[in-house]
Amino acid sequence: MSNPLSDMEKPDVIFCIGTNMTEAHPVAATRLKKAIARGAKLIVADPRRIRLAEMADLYMPIRVGSDVALLLGMAHVIAREGLYDLDFMAARTEGFEEFLEHVGQFTPAWAAGITGVPASDIERAAILYGSAKPGAIFYTLGITEHICGVENVQSLCNLALMTGNLGKVGGGINPMRGQNNIQGAGDSGAIPNNYVGFQAVTDPVNRAKFESAYGRPLDGEKGITKVTALDRCGESIFGMLIDGENTIVSDPDQQHCIHALKSLEHLVVIDIFLTETGELADVVLPAAAWAEVDGHFTNTERRIQRVRKAVDPPGEAKPDWWIISQIAKRMGMQGFDYDSAVPVFNELCELSPIYAGIDWEMADGGQYQWPIPYKGHPGTPRLHETEFSNGRGKFSFTNYRDPAEVIDDAYPVWLTTGRRLESYHTRTQTGRSSGIDYLLSEETLEVHPDDVTAWELVDGGWAEMSSRRGTVKIRVEATRRSPRGTVFASFAFPEVPINTLTGSGYDPITETAELKVCPVRVMAV
Amino acid sequence: MQLSASSITKTRTICGYCGVGCSIDLMVRNNRIVGVQPAMDGPANEGALCVKGQFAYDYVHHPERLTHPLVRGGDGQLHRASWDEALDRAAAGFLQVAEKHGRYAVYGVASGRTPSEADYLMQKFIRVGFGTHYIDNCSRA
Repeated sequence: MSNPLSDMEKPDVIFCIGTNMTEAHPVAATRLKKAIARGAKLIVADPRRIRLAEMADLYMPIRVGSDVALLLGMAHVIAREGLYDLDFMAARTEGFEEFLEHVGQFTPAWAAGITGVPASDIERAAILYGSAKPGAIFYTLGITEHICGVENVQSLCNLALMTGNLGKVGGGINPMRGQNNIQGAGDSGAIPNNYVGFQAVTDPVNRAKFESAYGRPLDGEKGITKVTALDRCGESIFGMLIDGENTIVSDPDQQHCIHALKSLEHLVVIDIFLTETGELADVVLPAAAWAEVDGHFTNTERRIQRVRKAVDPPGEAKPDWWIISQIAKRMGMQGFDYDSAVPVFNELCELSPIYAGIDWEMADGGQYQWPIPYKGHPGTPRLHETEFSNGRGKFSFTNYRDPAEVIDDAYPVWLTTGRRLESYHTRTQTGRSSGIDYLLSEETLEVHPDDVTAWELVDGGWAEMSSRRGTVKIRVEATRRSPRGTVFASFAFPEVPINTLTGSGYDPITETAELKVCPVRVMAV
Repeated sequence: MQLSASSITKTRTICGYCGVGCSIDLMVRNNRIVGVQPAMDGPANEGALCVKGQFAYDYVHHPERLTHPLVRGGDGQLHRASWDEALDRAAAGFLQVAEKHGRYAVYGVASGRTPSEADYLMQKFIRVGFGTHYIDNCSRA
């Protein structure tokens, strides 16, 4: 998030797109509810009539995968009506004249034809957001899990840049991060393009710094993503170490994924339960769980917070830092002589320009949001207040393209996937919490009541849903949350493996899977 | 059973579910979590908590938790092993793969669920061990 969570109570206009916040980030959503109670207006764009849509002043039921068209249409109206912030654009951005010209072609009528949202509503949304002082944008995986995820994000940045809604209290572009420490995983350098603190591996200065710190030569080229690695298993990838991920249930195209992991010569899985992924491993190492280890999580607002051990791990389970270090040492690697998580965190901070201002002791109170570039720096609750890290804000000349697969006679229904309030990911944890299992013990396919009738399904009965990659059997739930022609299910239940169906395409830059769009066929059984 | 408040200890930590990062106090008695209290002074949540954060903690003490290492045997099944045996097997396997197929044959997947210390060491393991950047986390799926 560019802005702190506390800013969520301060916008005049809130624009939520591709975020089911009341279910996936419930506590953050309470702040939006406070803003609305104070008089803020809420615009929601989402294919499903989710709870946020019910709360909205303006709800736009967009067709799955049509976000760029909607956002270009809105930019067109903001440009046409002169609602842009000329002073901000002149002082802080570059290329704005060309951008205003670029959006001239994307009329609301054009956007309406692609998104299915009436042109008059696109006009209203643009005027509401464009007039807001300040206006804030919130999004989640409904924006990024597309083949055009990068263009979706760029299109949102365009709106914020043209209206000057960056670096301001109550404004910003705010991705809601999904997992407790997915932000920290990227911060810590567990990505193929950056060292810790987002230092590019292709920069020779960074390379020299880490060759010195790690005491060995390092590649100057980027690595490959997990998506590519899974594609190459058995061809050029033969060994894999997976820590705390149930890959074959959470990732797209399950059959492909199982085949990939089975074709490895050596798979080591570190986890707290024997997951479906662990079942395929050569070695499974038992980890201490949350509440059993000390360390840090970094949340969606870039806040570094201490997690503390409250209970002992069961049996012989050990903290991840110990397990990874032990494997490294037994392979003869240097620099893994840690006696606790403390020196690990301090090393991370020393090597990271955005954590450089803290250490284990200073992080105790959880008051720091990165970047914290030096000791004595107070941290940065709000990004971009005076300047952008790359100099000037750049407009992106986005354009609409169709999803990787579109509906046709064989697969005439859009499936979109997501999360539910009461379950978490593949239910490795929530499936083993008795109260939660009581609240939601089964997956259902959300189908519009008229489609239930038209497709000869029965509410509460069973359906068989197929894509080009597989078939699942799932119980039908008639609900007006789904629009006609679009169905929804979560990927939480391993016994209804929705990711058997997904995997139609990937964003060419991030290689994020298009999990939000999958043409399917739904038949009664 | 006699319940006494004095036998319950509180530990301040962060909820382990979504990315909001709510502060909570874990209430522990006899080495078991018996309750969760939202922290009124938590910067992200200011006293609020959702149904998962409040109630979905008992998996920690679930009987199916892994309590010892497992190693695949000659019969194709996973069997209980000592830490020494399992770690040696894990290490030897990666060395063999690298020797046979080169240093680009080993890949690491870090977690969005573990503390940053684990993620940092996962990337260090790959970079120090193989000199590559064949490391990622679960953020793409």
